[in-house]
Amino acid sequence: MIPELGQLALTFALALSLLLAVVPLYGSFVANQRALLLAKPLAVGMFLLSAFAMACLMDAFLNSDFTVINVASNSSTTLPWYFKMTASFGSHEGSMLLWVTMLTLWTALVATFSKSLPLLMQGRILGVLGIICLGFIAFSLFMSNPFARSLPFYPVEGRDLNPLLQDFGMIVHPPMLYLGYVGFAVSFAFAIAALIGGKFDSTWARWARPWTLAAWMFLTMGIMLGSWWAYNELGWGGWWFWDPVENASFMPWLVGTALLHSLAVTEKRGTFKSWTVLLAIATFSLSLMGAFLVRSGVLVSVHSFATDPSRGLYLLVFFLLVVGGSLFLYALRMHAVRSQARYKLFSREVLLWGNNVFLLTATLVVFLGTMYPLFHKELGLGSISIGEPFFNQMFFYLAIPFSLLLGMGPWVRWKQQTLPPLLKPLTLVLLAALTLALGYLTLTQQLAANLALLGMLLGAWVGMSAIGEVWQRMQQLGGVSAGFGRLQASHWGMTIAHIGFAVLVIGVAMTKTLSIETDVRMKIGDTAALGGYEFKLLDVYELKGANYGGQAAEIAVTEQGAPIAQLHAEKRFYPIQKTVMTEAAVHARLSRDLFVALGEEMPGPSWSVRVYVKPFVRWIWLGGLLMALGGLIALLDKRYRRRSEPSATPEQQQEPVNA
Amino acid sequence: MRKLLFFIPFALFIGLSMFLFSGLFSDPRQHGSALVERQLPQFQLPDLMQPNKLLTADELKGEPYFLNVWGTWCPTCNAELAFLTQLRQQGVRIVGLYYVQPLDAAFGERFDLPALQQDVQQKLAGQGDPYQFNLLDQHRTLIFDLGVSGAPETFLVDADGVIRAHHVGDINPQNWPPLAEAYQKLVRK
Repeated sequence: MIPELGQLALTFALALSLLLAVVPLYGSFVANQRALLLAKPLAVGMFLLSAFAMACLMDAFLNSDFTVINVASNSSTTLPWYFKMTASFGSHEGSMLLWVTMLTLWTALVATFSKSLPLLMQGRILGVLGIICLGFIAFSLFMSNPFARSLPFYPVEGRDLNPLLQDFGMIVHPPMLYLGYVGFAVSFAFAIAALIGGKFDSTWARWARPWTLAAWMFLTMGIMLGSWWAYNELGWGGWWFWDPVENASFMPWLVGTALLHSLAVTEKRGTFKSWTVLLAIATFSLSLMGAFLVRSGVLVSVHSFATDPSRGLYLLVFFLLVVGGSLFLYALRMHAVRSQARYKLFSREVLLWGNNVFLLTATLVVFLGTMYPLFHKELGLGSISIGEPFFNQMFFYLAIPFSLLLGMGPWVRWKQQTLPPLLKPLTLVLLAALTLALGYLTLTQQLAANLALLGMLLGAWVGMSAIGEVWQRMQQLGGVSAGFGRLQASHWGMTIAHIGFAVLVIGVAMTKTLSIETDVRMKIGDTAALGGYEFKLLDVYELKGANYGGQAAEIAVTEQGAPIAQLHAEKRFYPIQKTVMTEAAVHARLSRDLFVALGEEMPGPSWSVRVYVKPFVRWIWLGGLLMALGGLIALLDKRYRRRSEPSATPEQQQEPVNA
Repeated sequence: MRKLLFFIPFALFIGLSMFLFSGLFSDPRQHGSALVERQLPQFQLPDLMQPNKLLTADELKGEPYFLNVWGTWCPTCNAELAFLTQLRQQGVRIVGLYYVQPLDAAFGERFDLPALQQDVQQKLAGQGDPYQFNLLDQHRTLIFDLGVSGAPETFLVDADGVIRAHHVGDINPQNWPPLAEAYQKLVRK
């Protein structure tokens, strides 16, 4: 009966979303205060009902209720309880319900934390969110119902969860990613509400900033966790594959990053107005397009959910209405708006404009690389595929000027900046970066004119510049100890996120250039040497897990005779899904990963073993983590929690302001 | 003028959605390989049963034929053998392109031609032999050039060595008619 309760709750949520999509918007046009006031309870109610539906689905999974088709196809009695829970969003239907829950959660949060906004704006924003919720709840309920039953003939055992998804990363990756994806619906709703109202002063940007920041932070975490999961679970030591579905999450991230920076300009300087609105629309549109691409089967990918043209058609029509409608509204409203702010060529405005140009070029590269096969096919030119080299090369060219610019950005003032005062600090930063990069590579005897050197230099430049800038700022605020506290949280956030980017660049460059690997056939007692480490196969034994069998290997790692670690690698066989999975053994240090994957058993008996030494690979995720942390810290800034009506107080000229 | 500028995002979006729409309804199986309407790639491959005899793309010209990629290890290929044999009896020319699965020398797997020949002979004796002869593509060079994604796949090649159609999956009485029509057209020419 519990699945029926879930279904009922979802149906009520649909009804509430329909009301939310109509009533407050209607109220905003006829200035009916009671209709506007209804928005908040509707939004909160919708969230509670959706969350209840999600809980019902989880309950069905936990109790292995195989009369529910979704449970029977994606779970089994042998699954441990925590994977039963995550299996509830491992399938298309379940993940759609999770998506809906997240979306209604954001809507309820906006309703709760928007007391300082004028009622009219609240009504419009929640109304727009209501339209989006309506679309997705209806999709979940009518096109991919997670509660559908298979009565009276139901299986006694489920088909089990795809073993790829039986991993800790899978517990946290989808909720984070979806929180990010649908979080951009909020900045989208703010932009549309501003378009409907036709008022584009800097206030909408100030309201939209914390929400954009929060969504961006979750998306950063989600993407980073996905990459980490792929590295651990796929067993080939890769961390990013330029797979269409990865790209679908990466595009909103890139545009969302551009949006964050552009919002800063709009808020502080009242310019870039039409551009920021367009970015807000684009970010959410790319999230929607990602959802369409993943769930329609237009692009084939390892991540794709089962394809079904009617689902794809629904999502496409919804996508057309929402994005087409908002872009049409944009075209009608935005041309009348002009920015008055003036700035010189060398100013923070122009550098942030450069940031936007590079981020959007990167988005275009990913977009074309992802969609070109589709265009090519539909133009009747046959099937082709675009691989890693294209993306890697393009990002290589984009990362260099982007990093150079990023190292300069925080130093430069709004409106105009003269060069002389910057010469000394930037020369110091440059010298520090050169010393650090060349010094490290010389000491580890890896100095060569290659990508690693370039990445180290760029990373050190960005990182040193961020640290130096904060240092200088603290000096200005009365010394390090006093300035530490006085510096705004959002400034700290920016600095940490920029350092995160530097760490990421170093990680990518070092891993790409200096990773080494070998495939060996080993008997028990054999030793393989790689990169100064010796890997000795101690033992291989049979494995018996809850829902899998297989083999496990114990490998001792030594460096010049000194023991480093004992690694435990597994090769699992999942009988229900008939899949073999590699659980790689990883010994992680900040400077390098030792990665061992156990392969097939050969006559002998011996085993094929794949060994990698990956320098600095941790830095890639550390960088992502720092960026997300930067977002979190910026979110804690006091001015986002100001209770009073923001437009009532004149904007304080807060130099330094952050971007 | 400035007004129109702001319609650019909308126009670009409409263009994109047209592609997405048509992509939604196109069947990947119907989109042939990039090689359709182009010359069969050059090759020089031995006949599976007479390895001393080398065949080239030019030697196959003169009469349209189906180039069928298959292997004894592939159950779907085995399933279509009977129907293909019927077609051969009706006079359809079919050339086999034998797909040798990758072997890993490091793990002691060796290419064993006599064993393979025996295996193929047994299979064809039991299920029917539709092939004029079989090309042995031991290193999968031609298979790679043709962009074969799996077996069975079949290419219709005309008398001048131009690929005219590409079919992914088995050929059976249900999906045969359009291929038959294309083939007859080429024969009549």
